[in-house]
Order: sequence, then structure tokens, then C-alpha cells
Amino acid sequence: MEILVQGLKEGFLLIWQMDAEIFDVTLLSLQVSLTALVLSALIGVPLGAALALTKVRGKQVILNTVYTLMGLPPVLAGLLVYLLLTSRGLLGQYELLFTPAAMVMAQVLLAAPIVCGLTARAVLALNQEVYDTAATLGATRRQATLSIMREARMGIIAALTTALGRVIAEVGAVMLVGGNIRWSTRVLTTSIVLETRMGNFSTAIAIGIILLTISFAINLFILTLEKRTFRYENTIQIT
Amino acid sequence: MKTPFKLHNIVKRYGEREVLNIDQLSIPAGNIYTILGPNGSGKSTLLRIMALLLVNDEGQLEVLGEKVIWQKGQLLRLRRQMSMVTQTSFMFQGSVYYNVAYGLRARQMSAKKVRRQVGEMLEMVGMTAYRDADARTLSGGERQKVAIARALAVNPRVLFLDEPTSNIDLASATDIENHIRQINKQRKTTIIMVTHNLFQARRLADEVMFISDGRIIEKGTAEELFSQPRDERTAAFLRGETVF
Repeated sequence: MEILVQGLKEGFLLIWQMDAEIFDVTLLSLQVSLTALVLSALIGVPLGAALALTKVRGKQVILNTVYTLMGLPPVLAGLLVYLLLTSRGLLGQYELLFTPAAMVMAQVLLAAPIVCGLTARAVLALNQEVYDTAATLGATRRQATLSIMREARMGIIAALTTALGRVIAEVGAVMLVGGNIRWSTRVLTTSIVLETRMGNFSTAIAIGIILLTISFAINLFILTLEKRTFRYENTIQIT
Repeated sequence: MKTPFKLHNIVKRYGEREVLNIDQLSIPAGNIYTILGPNGSGKSTLLRIMALLLVNDEGQLEVLGEKVIWQKGQLLRLRRQMSMVTQTSFMFQGSVYYNVAYGLRARQMSAKKVRRQVGEMLEMVGMTAYRDADARTLSGGERQKVAIARALAVNPRVLFLDEPTSNIDLASATDIENHIRQINKQRKTTIIMVTHNLFQARRLADEVMFISDGRIIEKGTAEELFSQPRDERTAAFLRGETVF
């Protein structure tokens, strides 16, 4: 307990002093995770919607595969990207291993199935009457599809926040493909592992606080945006 | 347009089960045409096929003078001349205004025209005060009025009503029936209504068709069908013996 309190004190001091290395690590974490989230959204949202809205052979098997990949172990994702980027791998010639790009790739592999699977679930949960109403009011297929996505948006936002939680807290994959190289590929989570191993608990706690604060701030931003955009959302009242 | 709908040997199946088999049906323009029948008789399936929301398995469908080939462009062109109010009157997330403006915005109408048209429609159904209210918090009757305003905003030639008053109180139902009558008389909109409410059908309909097990049992003017049903199944339904 004493170590924790001491760590918290020193942690806040470190944040207050704006340590250059911690600042760099924080910035890289944000860059990698947000890039991975945007790419995952670009891949996962349309794919999830398409899976939900189209009749394809083996749809259940595909959905089941996506749901399975939602629980993909980060180390396995890291290993797959590592094998892809290693000098003998399919993309070895691009020399991306131990770069932030490799870390983004690993995180996309983890986050895209989450976005895709949860988007598909959100769309599948809607009734036929959403499309029927849009169609009978003269919407084109594109307009009707956009209306369906609009109705499913709460679920899609939940998918994005879940995916963000997954990538920002992830350590196994980025450690494997990034290598935790100082001033290059070190991010918040890999720093925590390193500092803990070195016995620098206060630094580790400081980084942990930063990680949680960032996650809190991003989620707060999303929720505020959601509240402004979706002011007609209802909260179920339990009396 | 004398006959907005012509159906010839229309068959619809769900798996092996045949739910609809309509040999010949022509619906005249400008009338209130009511489709009566017990639950599960195929009324809503027939309505959804005519509204081009469900593809028939067999037969030929003619809508507003065009043979339906289920091609994307044709569907949009035809659908834009019709609209529908359903039993649940689904509301999109958003305000009453957003919902009533939906069809107009889909047609890329200018914001000024949309505002004017929505205003007129809300006034017509007596819902102007609810313009900015959350559409999903309205009562059943209010939702139904908004759904009617939304359907009429696009100035349809044909209006489909699928059990439009089944979930609402008597006062609201009377109010909505008055609107239906008014729309038909003033705009000459063809109204095709599905209901199992005999009294409503009798009050509103010009022509009535009785359907059971997916087949037309009897059709004629409301006066004929209600006072002198030719088929025993129709008579049993009118006596209230086969509602379910």
C-alpha cells in the first residue's frame, strides 16, 4: 500500500514536470492507437454493415469467425504481423518491423474484428421496419442504408469505444512487433512493463495514470459528442 | 390513372408454405379500398407486395400503369408515388420535424420548401406544437398522426394504411379516420387500407375485399359486402366468428 501511495505521489510529480520522454511515449501511444482505431472503423463499420445487410452464403460462419477474432489474443496478433513483416515474410521488403506502422497493423488486427462484429450486431438488432419506412418514403437504397446506420449508431459508437479500449491498453502485440525501442516504438503500455521490471514503480504508476486519463478524456469526448448529436436518445427509466 | 394496381396470378411463399395466391385483382383509383381478413390471412403480405417491399414468387404485378420488373430505378420511381403508414408507425430517432421531413429530404427538396411542407402537414394533423418533440416519446395516437403527416408530406398518389388505428384509443382513432376521409376527398389520393376492424372498414371503405388463407374470397362495394355477403366465410367473419 505504501509503495502505491508513494508511486502515486511521484507519478503526479512526473506528470506535472512534463518529462520529455513520457511526453514522447504518450504522443506515440495516441498516434498509434488513434490511427489503428480510424483504420479499424474504416474497415470494420462498412464490413459489419454489409455482413448484416446482405444475404451471403455462409453468413453465419463468417459472423462466427468475426466474433471469434474479437477475442484474438494480442500476442497471437503480434506474432502474425511479426511473421508478415519479418525479412522472410510477405511484406518483409518494406522493412516495417519495429516501427510504429507495424504496431498500427497489429492493433488493427485486434480492433477491426471488434468494430465489424459489434457493428453487425447493432444493425442485425434493428427491425425490417427501418428499411420499409425509409423505402416507402422514397429513399434511395443508399439513403435507406444510411438511415439504417443512423438508427444503429449507438451500437456503432459502443463498438468504437470498445475497440479503443482494446488498442490503447494492449501490450503484447505492440511489444512483439514494435520492440519497445526508446524514442522510437515505446508506448505507454510497454513503458509500464519496462519500468515495473526495473523496479521504477512510481514511473510505472505515473504512466498508468496518464494511460487512464487519456482513455477517460477520449471517452468523455465521444460521450459529449454523442449527447450533443443524439439528444433524442432515451434512457430507460426504472422506478 | 384508372387502375393503379393490377395483380395477375400473384403467388407468395415462405419456404414451402403458400401465404398468398391472388388470381385477379384491380384496384380503382381515387377510392378507399379496404382489405379485410382474419389474422394471418395474407393481408399485410399483399399490401407489402403492392407497396413494392416484398417480391412475389409468381405472377404479374402492374403498378401505376407499369409492369413491375423489380429493377432498382423503376422501384424508386414507383415508390416515390406511394407512401405507407404501418400499425406500429415506426419513428426514426429524432424530432417530429425530422420524421415528417424525411421523404422530402430524400427527394432533395430545398430547406425552405421542406419547412413549409412540414409545417402544413403538422398543422393538418394538429401536431404543430410537437414539431421539436422527440418522435419516440409520443403516444400511439400522436405517433400515428405524425406517421400520416410524414406519409402525406411527399404528396403520394397512393397511400397504404396497414392497421392504422389498431393500437390507439377510440378518440384518436376517430380523429385519424377523419383525416383519412379528408385526404381521400380533398387530394383524391387512392387509399388502400388493411384492417380487421369491421366497423372502421364499414365507416371508411368505398370498396372491400375479404381475404382468407391468402385467397380472395369476396370483393365488392362496402354496401354489398357488409349487407349481403355471398360467401359463408365472409359472413362468418362479419359475424365475428373468425377474427383469429
